[in-house]
Amino acid sequence: MREKIARPDDVRRWPGDFPVAHRYTPGVAGEAFFTALRDRGAILGSRCERCAYTYVPARLFCERCFAELDAGVELGPGGTLVSFTIGFAGLEGEPLDRPVTLGLVRLDGADAVLLHHVLDPGDEPLEIGERVEVVLRPPEERTGSILDIQGFALAETESE
Amino acid sequence: MSGTRVAVVGAGMTRFMRRAQETGKELAWEAARAALDSCQLTLADMDAVCLTSAPDAFDGVHMKGEYLSDGAGGFGKPFIRTYVGGGSGVFTAIQGWYTVASGMFDVALLVAEEKMSSTQPHPQGAFLTIFDNILERPLGPNLLWIFALEMNRYMSAYGLDKRDIASVAVKNKRNAAGHPAALLGQADITVDDVLASEVLAWPVQRLDVSPISDGAVAVVVASEDAAKRITDRPVWIEGVGWNLDTTYWTNRDLVYPEYVENAARMAYDMAGVKEPRKEIHVVEPYDPFDYKELHHLEGLLLFDKGKAPEAARDGVLDRDGDLPSCPSGGLLGVGNPIAAAGLMKIAELFWQLRGEAGARQVPGTPERGVAQAWGDLMQVGTVVVMGTEVGSATTATGLPVVQTPPYTTGGHPLSDAEFRSAVGAVDHRLGAKYSWDAGVAVGRFLDGLRGGKILGRECRRCERVLVPPRMFCERCFRETDAWIEVEHTGTVQTYSICHVSWDMQPLDPPEIPAVVAVDGSDGGFLHMLGEVEPDEVRIGMEVEAVWKPVGERIGSILDIAHFRPRRHA
Repeated sequence: MREKIARPDDVRRWPGDFPVAHRYTPGVAGEAFFTALRDRGAILGSRCERCAYTYVPARLFCERCFAELDAGVELGPGGTLVSFTIGFAGLEGEPLDRPVTLGLVRLDGADAVLLHHVLDPGDEPLEIGERVEVVLRPPEERTGSILDIQGFALAETESE
Repeated sequence: MSGTRVAVVGAGMTRFMRRAQETGKELAWEAARAALDSCQLTLADMDAVCLTSAPDAFDGVHMKGEYLSDGAGGFGKPFIRTYVGGGSGVFTAIQGWYTVASGMFDVALLVAEEKMSSTQPHPQGAFLTIFDNILERPLGPNLLWIFALEMNRYMSAYGLDKRDIASVAVKNKRNAAGHPAALLGQADITVDDVLASEVLAWPVQRLDVSPISDGAVAVVVASEDAAKRITDRPVWIEGVGWNLDTTYWTNRDLVYPEYVENAARMAYDMAGVKEPRKEIHVVEPYDPFDYKELHHLEGLLLFDKGKAPEAARDGVLDRDGDLPSCPSGGLLGVGNPIAAAGLMKIAELFWQLRGEAGARQVPGTPERGVAQAWGDLMQVGTVVVMGTEVGSATTATGLPVVQTPPYTTGGHPLSDAEFRSAVGAVDHRLGAKYSWDAGVAVGRFLDGLRGGKILGRECRRCERVLVPPRMFCERCFRETDAWIEVEHTGTVQTYSICHVSWDMQPLDPPEIPAVVAVDGSDGGFLHMLGEVEPDEVRIGMEVEAVWKPVGERIGSILDIAHFRPRRHA
């Protein structure tokens, strides 16, 4: 059973792939969320009064109590940085010319947090708890995508 | 059998749709909510959640169980996904049974979800890797092959008439006309319609096959004490069984699903069913293809081998026949969101045995039914026997028949145009590349092919020569003993004439995949037939390997160009 490989080049390896692709449609709540983002620049969430919890993006149901929800809450544009990370390498491990900063932000009015880029944080170190605000792409560039949000920018100091 | 008795106390489902607007999570929630509403319980009443869904590749998400958990009600609860291919939906009821019978949990929510429409260009792509990556995928297989090869073998062994098999598709699509969740109900379909439909992979035609679908089903199960608090009409899970055959599907005789019989015997024994043909009143066998329903009815011991097709022809399986089969409309009629379709069969028995199936209600008062599903490489059987208490007050009181199945409403179908234009939709190509190790046995086998030899591996305990070879015998679970060169000739066990590729593009000329039993061995493998006209191919035909020229062989299953009819020198 435990054969000694006398001719290593005879160890057969067979190349292959898995040629499937996917089209992800965003569902009932997702369509409401992306339509509002594209058309009005609004970030919609869903509030479950029973659980006193506001989800973002909007959801069709509360995962805690199963109540049906609507996309009835508009959140932000201000928020608080809950956590962040700075990426210095790409997917293949290659060094990035410019590091990428990703933040988890609790938008004003929300309980859930949203993941997105932190835009040009500058030379000052970021701090958890800092105030940020959503930066949207111009209306004519929006397609109904999470990238209609460019990212979060540090809020002007006077807004604190 | 130790442990508490377990009952189904509620059920709900979404519509089955070609393309749902809802995400998989949203489908799961629609079904779960409907099931909870049906027994007036809330998510807070659920002690545990069991989920199933077929390959992650359909949805194209990582760890689909966890992804779907919020829609299934798994938030903050003991939650686990099980998955046994197409057998999953019925298996979830088995999982629910042992979750409760163990005594750990009183009430559990079971959810089965499938969203196949996300897969591009065709959901068949999600099945490509069920074939052996080294010995089968280089041949360019497509999922239809496996059904066509099994169906042809089944038809050939018993001399079956395709009309009799097609009558199953007719029955199920007609039954589904009474199902508010059905995708392909059709009251006026005929056998001629089925026989006139496009040939995909002979003998499989388009209307022999269930449709690609999105949908979800949920069921609530409870311990005996809890069930009696929840409802005065519990439907008991009386027996469960599951069984798996060898992965080497080309080494099996595809005529008969032994694994279904094994699973059925386990479930009948547990249920105390001694004469299933008398004691089972309604049956929901797995019917992704029309012949499969018949195959499975035989495996369930409800008909003699080869005799189910004539029962279908003679109306025995009709809703008002002696043994109503797939009164729901089954996968062929209601639809086949794979994992969900299996649990739909459990839900149907629940409704049938409570007299709540509305337009689909089988006559009389059925007291016991059996649901079955099948999956993986045609190798897993999952069986559940359900019943009301025979002769008890709960079934003898002449319950009012509910005219409309109440818990089958959720879900919104999308048209092709809506699917293409959905705001927020994202297209993504998996793009995964692999390099598979042939391993010890197959590596040597490929080396042999390069040298113009077909090698097998001998197991001296069970006295088999294994082709494809393996270093261990899966029956004896011991090391195999020696390499043996077998013949270059063999016999066609079964074949198909396939007119479509895996992504459903037409093939002209058609391909002829076949399972070849190799002379000098107890096995065989999948390959292609060549140098023969499609209408000349027969099961039992003697064939021989046609090798590529020495310089072109690379150590691949394709070093054999094809098999051709044997030329006796």
